[in-house]
Amino acid sequence: MLEGMFSGLSTALMPFNLLMVVVGCFAGTFIGMLPGLGPISAVALMIPITYTLDPSSGIILMAGVYYGAVFGGSTSSILINAPGCASTLVTTFDGYPMAQKNQAGKALALAAWSSFSGGTIGAIILIFTAPALASVSLSFQSADYFALMLLGLTSVAAFSGPGQMVKAMVMTVFGLMIATVGNDIITGAPRYTFGVLDLVDGVSFLLLAMATFALAEVMMTIMRGQTLGSDQSMEKVTRSSMKLSLSEVKEVAPTVARSSVFGFIVGVLPGAGATIASFLAYGIERNLAPERLKKMFGKGALRGLAAPESANNAASTGSFVPLLTLGIPGSGTTAIMLGALIAYGIQPGPRLYVDHPDVFWSVIISMYFGNLVLLVLNLPLIPYISRLLAIPPRILNPLIIFFSIIGVYLVSFNTFDIQMMVVITLIALGLKLLDFPMAPMLLGFILGGMLEKNLSRALVVSDGSFDFLWQRPLTLGIMCATVVILILPKLLGWVRLRRGNLMPAAD
Amino acid sequence: MTMTKDRFGGLLFLLLCLTYGYYAGDIPMLPRDEFEPFNAQTMPNWLAGLGIFLSLLMIFSKGSSSVKNEPLLAANVGIMLGLLSFTFLLSLALPWFGFPVTTSLFLIASYRLLGERRPKMLLLSSVPFALALWLLLTQVLEVYIAPARLALW
Repeated sequence: MLEGMFSGLSTALMPFNLLMVVVGCFAGTFIGMLPGLGPISAVALMIPITYTLDPSSGIILMAGVYYGAVFGGSTSSILINAPGCASTLVTTFDGYPMAQKNQAGKALALAAWSSFSGGTIGAIILIFTAPALASVSLSFQSADYFALMLLGLTSVAAFSGPGQMVKAMVMTVFGLMIATVGNDIITGAPRYTFGVLDLVDGVSFLLLAMATFALAEVMMTIMRGQTLGSDQSMEKVTRSSMKLSLSEVKEVAPTVARSSVFGFIVGVLPGAGATIASFLAYGIERNLAPERLKKMFGKGALRGLAAPESANNAASTGSFVPLLTLGIPGSGTTAIMLGALIAYGIQPGPRLYVDHPDVFWSVIISMYFGNLVLLVLNLPLIPYISRLLAIPPRILNPLIIFFSIIGVYLVSFNTFDIQMMVVITLIALGLKLLDFPMAPMLLGFILGGMLEKNLSRALVVSDGSFDFLWQRPLTLGIMCATVVILILPKLLGWVRLRRGNLMPAAD
Repeated sequence: MTMTKDRFGGLLFLLLCLTYGYYAGDIPMLPRDEFEPFNAQTMPNWLAGLGIFLSLLMIFSKGSSSVKNEPLLAANVGIMLGLLSFTFLLSLALPWFGFPVTTSLFLIASYRLLGERRPKMLLLSSVPFALALWLLLTQVLEVYIAPARLALW
């Protein structure tokens, strides 16, 4: 383990890779600030650039962008009450009221310190848990992998929010369907190509990610007529206003510690992710706060800002655990990273720890560097970076569209991909208008090939019988977890309904 | 039964699944593959079945109460369609007019569509940008970008 860690450290410390962390954090902060563009879009926009780099540098750049985008999302949440992504939505609850009270600098500093602490605690836990889980998962068989992928896909749907579960499952199936386009990976038979040669290799992951996230998000922003508000709080952020007093630090320290550990645990669960972690951490802190402070929540409470910020950063770190150790992405962003790693010829999973320890450890170590960069470089520069938001949308939006298109074109040099992007963007816009979530589709698409391969192997080994689902205790355990996750939201809803019905009766 | 967004979505997905399932039968198989526990048609058939079940669930369920209508302006929808049309045109023009010309024109047209009217601004934020990117790709990163077909004539 130590040898791998040192190898990762030396890789992460290479000047070029350090530069990638810095560039990634800056680019991520800028993209994450733009309302509508979250970490998924930011990471998707970086993929074409990472194809020109070696795997370690590429994934380090993406990890930096991920952190930067989450931080950028917090910045726009605090300054203009427009969360860059869902995971920073809770930040607006207390961050924006603080900015309205002329405490924008303090809110940004608290958000940055909380994110840093969350990321640090998350990275420390990751260093110890990831190798342990990786060594256990070396004994996994095809049936276990199939069950795990089913668990990942199901939990993404289960945690998608009230009333969204069936829609998320529909989108997962849609993603799996898109994954079947092209030559069959086992027999080589063409499937759904309709004689089009450009479809023989299937739909490109990059194309799908760019069209459904980067391009579709910008188009949605244009259709909604959203513009970035030139809020006064943006003007009031100065470096001197970003200071926290000792009593304030003492007040939020326990919150940060609790929310970081909690956020990490939630982040590890496939599908749960940073958004759920931030909401839950906020709820917990509000319940734990004394009556006097409880009233402050929603009006600019320091704890109310520190809790979601620590939790979402720790959860972002936690979501790397299933990706690096099992090869199963825990969120939409890590799903994109999985796709990029596969494109490099690296299969994330238990073998990653053995075969590519440099990639495994350099990602973990660079995550920590990413947090450090955000705190040391990005935070003091926020007053200047936020000025970039002043670029008018009529210039900014075409540039984002341009980068999305050219990014896809420069990988394949095939104009058919651009045409396909237009078609997929139109479909994605239709689905977005019908409130279908996009992340489950991308997850289904990325896991589709692996799911089919493992299912076919398991079925061939068990001679066509589905016994493999309960023959091994591990497979059975994972399948039970899948069923529990699937029925849990319904069960909780039913219990809440029962309780609601009983309460008036008791009154 | 009222037609909600969810039901409409479910209906569309049902149609997609039926079409997907129909074409699953067209997937060629190796001889005797139909007797194997898993062949090229297995996954598509299962997915079609699962998709049909889920879409029926969407159609016949009560639907979510959180469904909200997007406040979209017709003019903005027009702009979006215009930008997508420009993207499509870019794909057609790229091999003929080459990278710098096509991308410059795309940027100028997009800026203009989104409301930028100053000719100086239109040119300054597109041509130098496209040229700089092209030079970076071809001269610094040594990426081969095919020259314009019209220039080869």
